[in-house]
Amino acid sequence: MNAKDLNRFDEPSRRRFISTAARTYLGVNLLPMLGGSVATAAPKTAAGAKAKSVIYLYMSGGMSHLDTFDPKPKKKDVMGKTEAISTSATDIQIGHYLPKTAEVMDKVCVINSMTSRQGAHEQGAYIMHTSYDMRGTVKHPTLGAWVNKLGGRLNPEIPGYVAIDSSQESSGGGFFGAKFAAAPIGSPHDGLQDSRKPGNVSQEDFDRRLSLADRLNKQFHGRYQNADVKAYEELYLEAIRLMNSKDLKAFNINDEPESVRKTYGSSRFAQGCMLARRLVEHGVRFVEVQLGGWDTHYDNFAAVEGRCKEFDQAYSGLLKDLEEKGLLEETLVVVATEFGRTPTIKTEHQDGRDHHPGAFSCLLAGGGVKGGYKYGETDAKGERVKDKPVAVQDFNATIAHALGLPHDLVVMSPSGRPFRFADKGVPVTDVFA
Amino acid sequence: MKFQFCGLLACIVASGSFCLAADESAPAKDPAFIAKAAHAIDSHVAAWYRKQKLNVPAVTDDATFLRRSFLVAIGRIPTTEEARFFLEIEDPTKRVQLIDYLMQSPGYSSHMTNWAFDLLRVTDGKPGFNGNFEAYRNWVRTALENNMHWDDFTNALIASSGDGWDPKTAAVGYYTRDRGMPLDNLANTMRVFLGSRMECAQCHDDPFGETERHDFYELAAFTEGQGMVRRNYMRSLWDEVAEGDRRRSIDYDVAQAMWDRVYGLSLAGSGRGKIRLPDDYQYRDGEPGEMIGARTPFGRSVRISERSSKEDGRIELAEWITGKTGQQFASVAANRMWKRVMGRGVYEPVDEFKSASELHHPELMNTLIKLMVDLDYDLQAFQKVLLNTKTFQFVPNPEPAKVATGDDFHGRQLARLSSEQLWDSLLTLAGGDPDKKPRRTIDDRIYVGNKPVLVGKKNMVQLSKEVLALESEEEVRAYFDEFLKEVRSESGSAKSSEGGMMMMNKVQRYDRNAPVRASELPSPAPRDHLLYLFGQSDRVVVDGSSREPNVGQVLSLMNGYVQKQLVNNSDAHLYKSLEGASTDEEKVRRLYVTILSRPPSTEEMGWMLDEVKASGEMGYRNIVSALVMSSEFLFVQ
Repeated sequence: MNAKDLNRFDEPSRRRFISTAARTYLGVNLLPMLGGSVATAAPKTAAGAKAKSVIYLYMSGGMSHLDTFDPKPKKKDVMGKTEAISTSATDIQIGHYLPKTAEVMDKVCVINSMTSRQGAHEQGAYIMHTSYDMRGTVKHPTLGAWVNKLGGRLNPEIPGYVAIDSSQESSGGGFFGAKFAAAPIGSPHDGLQDSRKPGNVSQEDFDRRLSLADRLNKQFHGRYQNADVKAYEELYLEAIRLMNSKDLKAFNINDEPESVRKTYGSSRFAQGCMLARRLVEHGVRFVEVQLGGWDTHYDNFAAVEGRCKEFDQAYSGLLKDLEEKGLLEETLVVVATEFGRTPTIKTEHQDGRDHHPGAFSCLLAGGGVKGGYKYGETDAKGERVKDKPVAVQDFNATIAHALGLPHDLVVMSPSGRPFRFADKGVPVTDVFA
Repeated sequence: MKFQFCGLLACIVASGSFCLAADESAPAKDPAFIAKAAHAIDSHVAAWYRKQKLNVPAVTDDATFLRRSFLVAIGRIPTTEEARFFLEIEDPTKRVQLIDYLMQSPGYSSHMTNWAFDLLRVTDGKPGFNGNFEAYRNWVRTALENNMHWDDFTNALIASSGDGWDPKTAAVGYYTRDRGMPLDNLANTMRVFLGSRMECAQCHDDPFGETERHDFYELAAFTEGQGMVRRNYMRSLWDEVAEGDRRRSIDYDVAQAMWDRVYGLSLAGSGRGKIRLPDDYQYRDGEPGEMIGARTPFGRSVRISERSSKEDGRIELAEWITGKTGQQFASVAANRMWKRVMGRGVYEPVDEFKSASELHHPELMNTLIKLMVDLDYDLQAFQKVLLNTKTFQFVPNPEPAKVATGDDFHGRQLARLSSEQLWDSLLTLAGGDPDKKPRRTIDDRIYVGNKPVLVGKKNMVQLSKEVLALESEEEVRAYFDEFLKEVRSESGSAKSSEGGMMMMNKVQRYDRNAPVRASELPSPAPRDHLLYLFGQSDRVVVDGSSREPNVGQVLSLMNGYVQKQLVNNSDAHLYKSLEGASTDEEKVRRLYVTILSRPPSTEEMGWMLDEVKASGEMGYRNIVSALVMSSEFLFVQ
């Protein structure tokens, strides 16, 4: 964003906010913050890349690949109660808990050959979100932060990165700092909390409060050279801009017509997916929606069935809706998880499945990805990757590739160490049409 | 003067929950011991500064000390009354007295509870589980309230077995909370209590550390066998009740109270001491499926042969962790407490143990370890010593740390309040001292569906005791029939079960919107709660809290809770501080003391008086709003 973007704030009140609130009240120069991305230095989009935004659906806890997207119908002992059903894509079968998803598999690319070395949740989720192993000495930026760092914002007025039902651990800005962290949504139904000024406060009093707070803050910041203190100062500016943006309505799913709501269904995850679509429509670069509860050590089949109920209609609804609105081509929809589950069923844990990082499945759809396509393969039991393994970093490089972002561009951390979007991962270009 | 101070503090404490009993001779109770120990720590720190040819930082002013001590010791800012009193009296020993006061406050255990809940991942429930961890949560909360010593606490958790509702054995929640994932549980045990990171070795030899997969399984052998007490006696009954129409009847709900909430929370056995290597075992030192015995990986070796049938593996493991790992157990506990009080550990990360000889400050660490042992793992007394040091009172350091890990002691670093400190402080402004509210108690009522039944007649503790004592399928069936009859007859009769009031204590519960300490709210708080927004841990992983800023937090400060409950709420307690103030200067001064625990500077007073002049009465609200939104409020110096 540069000076001419300020013209977007055409109403007098907005102009006043930007010119007075930003410069006078908060005492920050606009440039360091708005020039914070390296978008200008990097090629914005590589030729052929179609995706502009990402909806990243994260199945937290480790989604069983066997009961969802990599069933082994011939192996009864592996499958337990799960049966495979056929889908709208000729050679793709999925678990029977996902009937609506089966209808849209012609739009989806299934990667069955995901493999990771991290078998614990914290580490597994961390590497999926950052491409790096956890280290005590550095906090790595998450994918959403990388996308905004390398690609810049599409809409400067609203956050470039939003995390719905996510954890703060997996939506941070890492060493890029708080301005690249996600705006968190705790309840998709309520949207962005507190984004309007309290009704009974006049604009004048509201301004006076900010002005006073700003004087106090300047004094405090003068005393302490602390990055977090600085971050709060900048976030006030961001918050004011957001409050005055006409795109704030993107956060309100109550504006969606009944027909659209029906497509998604009423689960909490569905509300999150619907919100994600609105946000992408208004230029948010990266939206993560989490669905937890996949850690099915205990009573796997009942638990997976429950999770799938939450997922099925929401996911298929999202793809249909995006397609109907002509957004699917420019939106990459990712389904990811930290690992799969064991082919062995533990009867002593009421038919549970344990962690299985060796082989698992993730999905890509939209954003120029081939639909109805299967990439990679596991062995007969779904235990090991047999063909075309995709490491976590390769998967993340593929996401960058879809967006036309340079996955191999080295960005230095403040401590002078080199990092990349996907570490040393290589994009799987075969999945693109 | 001193007498007067104590008098007022006694007034504030009111309840007199502090207990002077026990043995007076214990070092923890001896002011001379505390002072001497604090001095020993200070001399090590000072010696280090001298060695680095640096000046020893000065001691900070009263106001900074006041706010820092309250936030660190009891997790909230002082009330107006507390702040004014401390700042106004002149008594050379007032800092020592303040620390005594804080350590006696019920706020101490509330604040420690947040710490323990984060460390142990204590939650109220778990997705897919039809019971709750009410009894375990209450066990942890009560243990901290009673200042159970850390070695006893650790022992009780790790060696636990039996009834999930019996207050004596409810620590089994430590295992049942992780039911189905015993290996993760064990990896966390090693991390939390010994600062050993072994989670990688669950699946493969650790490429970065020394732990091999075989070692990990030998350790896991100690805790192997975490089934439920005799639940098999109920299996066929449960399958029948869960079939067809009966599934929708009250029979099913009643059976569930037994199946999930009694059996499901019980922990059988005491640790088998042997375990089978997993089917995907990949190294030469063992075969998949091979039975191996228990063996500890370091420290004084403890073994159980795979041929032995004596069990008690969890007891052996607990004893090994707390007593046979050299200084490791004491060091990790001492370092965690040092971090709590000083802002960061002597070594970081605190869950990766380092021996004293590897550190910049070996003498300091050795002193802390010895102190932890001398105090018999009394964390309250240990923190009291640290709070009494000059090191704790250093002026805040305006510069970022010079060493990446921050262990250069370059004075205290600024840190944002934790979400719990922030919430508890906002509560203090909104409603006055939150520690005057009764704490949450255990809800031990029997729920059938979502309704409590047989209230006043039977509670979960009794139900659990009776059910777990049943010794055959027939006995379980007979008990179930009787239990079902009781519940049915009650729901049939008009008499409300709420009327019962016999031996039951009143259940004190707080819902998500209650204006009470974070430690008394649902754990974790819901995702649209201020606590979550400011980074409360979801308590799925160890120490998962975050202090990272985000735009939602700023929106909340500008437009949310702060505005509704403090600024625009005339009944907010903070406005009471204005009563009796006759001049504008006095009012501004009091708001400053109430919110920031300090008087305004001359310059600030000028700004604020201008604001009052321009906006009249609304000016005070604008001042309150600005002070709470300020970075100074959000950070501890």
